[in-house]
Amino acid sequence: MPKVTVANLDAIAAAARQRHQGWKAMLMVCAGTGCVSARSLPIRDALREEIGRRGLEREIKVVATGCNGFCAHGPICVVQPDGVFYERLKAEAVPELIESHFVRGRPLEEFLFRAGDGERPVPLEKDIEFFAKQQCIALRNRGKIDPEDIEDAIRAGAYQALKKVLAEGIEGDELVRRIVRSGLRGRGGGGFPTGIKWQSCLAAARQRGVRPYVVCNGDEGDPGAFMDRSLVEADPHAVIEGMLIGARALGASEGFVYIRLEYPLALQRLRKAIAQAREWGLLGADVMGTGMAFDLTIHQGAGAFVCGESTALMASMEGRAGEPRAKYVHTVEHGYRDRPTVLNNVETWANVPQIVRNGPEWFAAIGTGDVSQSPWNGSSGTKVFSLVGSVRNSGLVEVPMGITLREIVFDIGGGIPDGRTFKAVQTGGPSGGCLPDSKLDLPVDFDTLVDSGSMMGSGGMIVMDDRTCMVDVARYFVDFLCEESCGKCAPCREGLVNLREVLTRITRGEGREGDLELLEDLGAALTDGSLCGLGQTAANPVLSTLRYFRDEYEAHIRERRCPAGVCKALIRYSITEDCTGCTSCVKVCPTEAITGERKKLHVIDQTKCIQCGTCMDVCNDDAVVVR
Amino acid sequence: MSEAREDGRIRVTIDGRVAEVAPGTTILAAARQLGIEIPALCDSPLVEPYGVCRVCSVEVNEGRRQRIVTSCNYPLTRAVEVATRSERALRVRRLVVEMMLARWPNVKVVRELARGLGLGEPRFAHPRRNESPTACILCGLCVRLCNEGVWHHVLTFEGRGESRRVAMPYGEQPGECAGCMACANVCPTGAIRFADDPNRPADADRIRRAGFELTREVVLLDKQQCHMREVGTAHLTEIMNDYDLLPVLNYRYGAHPEVPKIASDKFKAVFSQGIADGCSLGCDMACAKAVDGHVLRTGPDRGKAVLVDGPEYETVSCAGSNLGIFEPWAIVEINYYCDHYGLDTISFGTLMAFVMECYEAGVLNRERTGGLDLSPGSIEGTLEVLHQMARGEGFGRIAGQGVRRMKKLFTERFGADPAFLEDIGMEAKGLEYSGYICKESLAQQGGYGIALKGPQHDEAWLIFMDMVNKQIPTFADKAEALHYFPMWRTWFGLNGLCKLLWNDVEPEDNAESGAPAKVPKHVQGYCEFVAGMTGKEVTGQDLIEQSERVYNFQRIFNLKVGYGRRKHDAIPYRAQGPVTAAEYLSRQERYDKQLAEDVGVDPAKLTLDEKRAALRRYREQRYEQLLDAVYERRGWTKDGIPTLAKVRALGIDKVEGLVELLRASGVTE
Repeated sequence: MPKVTVANLDAIAAAARQRHQGWKAMLMVCAGTGCVSARSLPIRDALREEIGRRGLEREIKVVATGCNGFCAHGPICVVQPDGVFYERLKAEAVPELIESHFVRGRPLEEFLFRAGDGERPVPLEKDIEFFAKQQCIALRNRGKIDPEDIEDAIRAGAYQALKKVLAEGIEGDELVRRIVRSGLRGRGGGGFPTGIKWQSCLAAARQRGVRPYVVCNGDEGDPGAFMDRSLVEADPHAVIEGMLIGARALGASEGFVYIRLEYPLALQRLRKAIAQAREWGLLGADVMGTGMAFDLTIHQGAGAFVCGESTALMASMEGRAGEPRAKYVHTVEHGYRDRPTVLNNVETWANVPQIVRNGPEWFAAIGTGDVSQSPWNGSSGTKVFSLVGSVRNSGLVEVPMGITLREIVFDIGGGIPDGRTFKAVQTGGPSGGCLPDSKLDLPVDFDTLVDSGSMMGSGGMIVMDDRTCMVDVARYFVDFLCEESCGKCAPCREGLVNLREVLTRITRGEGREGDLELLEDLGAALTDGSLCGLGQTAANPVLSTLRYFRDEYEAHIRERRCPAGVCKALIRYSITEDCTGCTSCVKVCPTEAITGERKKLHVIDQTKCIQCGTCMDVCNDDAVVVR
Repeated sequence: MSEAREDGRIRVTIDGRVAEVAPGTTILAAARQLGIEIPALCDSPLVEPYGVCRVCSVEVNEGRRQRIVTSCNYPLTRAVEVATRSERALRVRRLVVEMMLARWPNVKVVRELARGLGLGEPRFAHPRRNESPTACILCGLCVRLCNEGVWHHVLTFEGRGESRRVAMPYGEQPGECAGCMACANVCPTGAIRFADDPNRPADADRIRRAGFELTREVVLLDKQQCHMREVGTAHLTEIMNDYDLLPVLNYRYGAHPEVPKIASDKFKAVFSQGIADGCSLGCDMACAKAVDGHVLRTGPDRGKAVLVDGPEYETVSCAGSNLGIFEPWAIVEINYYCDHYGLDTISFGTLMAFVMECYEAGVLNRERTGGLDLSPGSIEGTLEVLHQMARGEGFGRIAGQGVRRMKKLFTERFGADPAFLEDIGMEAKGLEYSGYICKESLAQQGGYGIALKGPQHDEAWLIFMDMVNKQIPTFADKAEALHYFPMWRTWFGLNGLCKLLWNDVEPEDNAESGAPAKVPKHVQGYCEFVAGMTGKEVTGQDLIEQSERVYNFQRIFNLKVGYGRRKHDAIPYRAQGPVTAAEYLSRQERYDKQLAEDVGVDPAKLTLDEKRAALRRYREQRYEQLLDAVYERRGWTKDGIPTLAKVRALGIDKVEGLVELLRASGVTE
């Protein structure tokens, strides 16, 4: 393989492009974790087999890509260069697909996207509403390259930004200033300006005369969040290049990627990418032939949520228990192995090359506020969200900052399925909050979300419909955090237990007068008193639901009623006159609580019912109701 | 808002009062300076601040923002305003304590805190409510002291969140646990107890109290005093160099410009840090340092990465500066191979220094060393002699016989001047000298010369008392010191104890103790150990008498095997004064002054040779006078043998044949 240098990168990219253009078509099969789970790899193999059978292997190439983003519709295959989007593919349909698309020249309608039953198919990816409002910077290469082939990444522009800084001698303060001017803020959750973090680290390293470290935080732990995983799976070289540029700015020669063990595919692709980058001279003792030394080491996390916190992450990297320490002395001054350390999230690093390549002003022009004076004055660029829950088009989306929640949920997400109505959207994971429909027109940026009691977080976005009990949601997140609190500091350890106890008794119908005040008191103690960000934000799910859905709490306590029909102790299932006596429910009831003769009205014995709701799910006549 | 000052100190306002503190001072420390009490549960001067109980939360106004911080670990770096009892701070403090009270309702420290904050019954029903008055409240003091204080690394936390608890690895007490009980002593609730006292002491608590006081001093004071927990005894190298006491080039000189290359900071860089003592399990001083991963450059293990136990000061001096070797790696390598071959680094270093001076003086040459260049400073030659010595080959076979035999051999085989070799061969009783220049301290000459096993410094180290601090000017003073200290140090040997904890780290108030050299508080501490173990009250004087019996018996044993007389306490002149002209000139001012003031001759009227001769006569005579004084103080005859009265007084006269041996050796009533 060639050694990439500043002088030959363009030639290598041009040669790769030329080879690429030699293909008549490329079948970009999504091989992100979601589509792989939906068995996209057998489809990839079937495509290759079918193409081989027809002798088309010199004309059509099959590429396994990273996450396409439209996970709800996987397995996905996009035919390039024309951009035809096939969804919910099946391996058995592959011969017909090849026949139709390439021989008859007509896209196979059965697997084209439709906005709804009976709607017209939308053949092209760019015309699908899910993609139309997105703007990809971090995910620019998703579905477009083979993440396991560095040459393909170079073809698509990888390492151009690195070449630029090396060729033009941009480093140190000048490079840091560009990141500051771009307004880039940390995508991991806190939204701290990346350039300012770099500035502090550079100053500390200079003052102490030591080399700093750069670290990538890939310990994505929010339930339902998969931004970082997908990004690494789709375009690992974007992260590597970002870290190389960071190393160039800070004078670091060693970097680390902390990534959780539960991400085997991301780990495998990142390992391969790092190995290839080393072989191609993009990592190691002589980066791009310039004498710059930088290498990356992967550190596998064992899956503790708190290890996403910077000091806990570094403790874990040092081989100690993943517990945070006080951050009155910042990790940019005393971080990993006591050296000045810049820790940025996967998505943050992936933005860096594009900022360098297109200029900070280009990036600053996207998003909200005017960051020309200070990155604190706005939220520039885009943000990746994993849009999940009660939404039609769940998947991975990248949108410009400032877009409204409504646009994300209803335009990109396609709204709430199954005829239900929107109730809340939870942003920011367990540290975030639940926002009601009155907040749907808020622009999504770091500061607005915090002002409304939630936070950007790393980008988890869970949509909830009217069947969701907000007390139960709060209890769910508190339960999660109870499990994940390291237990080091008293407010977090004891506060979460007490929050859980109070919430549990409310959902059991045992809530008392004064419980809401108690929750608020506990919330304040956690927020003000906890050692690390986990505890300081742990009360957000409770406090935000209390703020926007207080009446629901009160219904639980005063009326012993769960308005959403979720909390088992407060609900009862019954069968209405609509029952046709089909006996479906009788067969599935685990406690034999339902009785009734065929073709006659059935009855639920409340003393036996355990409120599992299975009868409701199977009822053909919507005759089971919950109150 | 308060302002930063020009001298770098910081003005902080705490509850409206102003303190001036050094940057980095914590709010808690600054508040204490002002007499403002902030409650705290997980704070102790013995360990780094941890900031987990959050009881010490205060509100700080940083200008840009106001926030709640923990005062125990918030370092003051600029002028801020602190409110220790603001509504917001108290809200956190009250809730934290209320939650603790809900979980541990009967723990005294929690109850007292709750009372102080005016809390009533807690509003929570904690699922893990523990009504024990000695419940663990997870402050982590024990875990931190075990790990960062005494470095035993036995205790840890296990479990997450509410399941967090203090534990030992795999739930079992590991061998590394010395039962030091430092954990139990810092525990604020009494949650840790001794399950068993296998040695059945009379009063175990008394021993633990005295033991923990030592732990407290070592953990707290060593980092201010000796840094032995970081560098072991190697901290002495630069001190001895500064006082002109470091053996250089076979004890000719006491200092060398290249010593900074082998100073303690160079060894700290290679010593593994924060690891429990490798010498005695449970010793908090943990001065036994090791180099991990030294890659050997010579010998049979060349190329291997090995663990090296040391080097200590004696190795750095005897096998470093004394050989003109100023390369840490070489000293580490000599240390490794001496250990590997079963050789003593002091004896090896000192005999090698003798060999090098002989080589330099022409007594030895390449032909006689089998082709080795053994000039001072030769690392290659030194290591080769060491390897040959182990193999019993070549020149190493000669050198390995030690200084005493080499003196004889070099005279017989190479026709060397025996008087010169006697003067420069640093041995007495056949043992090589250890690493201190004693020329200018008469008391230390005695300390080395009279020592029963030969010139080791473990009987008495009196150089600072004598030469630097001039605390023992008369013969009687010196004789008293040469009675007390050898007896005292012998007591450590009797009990299998190490002396370093006695006087290397000293109590905060030792200087005001009246007899700082004896470290009276620590002597009392040892009395506590004895009384706690045996149930018998003892005084420091009792301990000395215990030693005296043994010491005199040992001297008589020496006599029996042909060594315990005055002539055996003779020492080489290199230990007493300048042998060569160059040595004299290196300290000419000191020697000329002694000639003028003490000897009573005018150095200006004498040639250099005459001055050397005059000084030698004076010093050799003084050494004899010292022996007389010490023997008398110890109750010995002029020939250095315990008198019959002495052995009777000590009660060792009952030993069969002892009195007969003394009589046969010329001791009369």
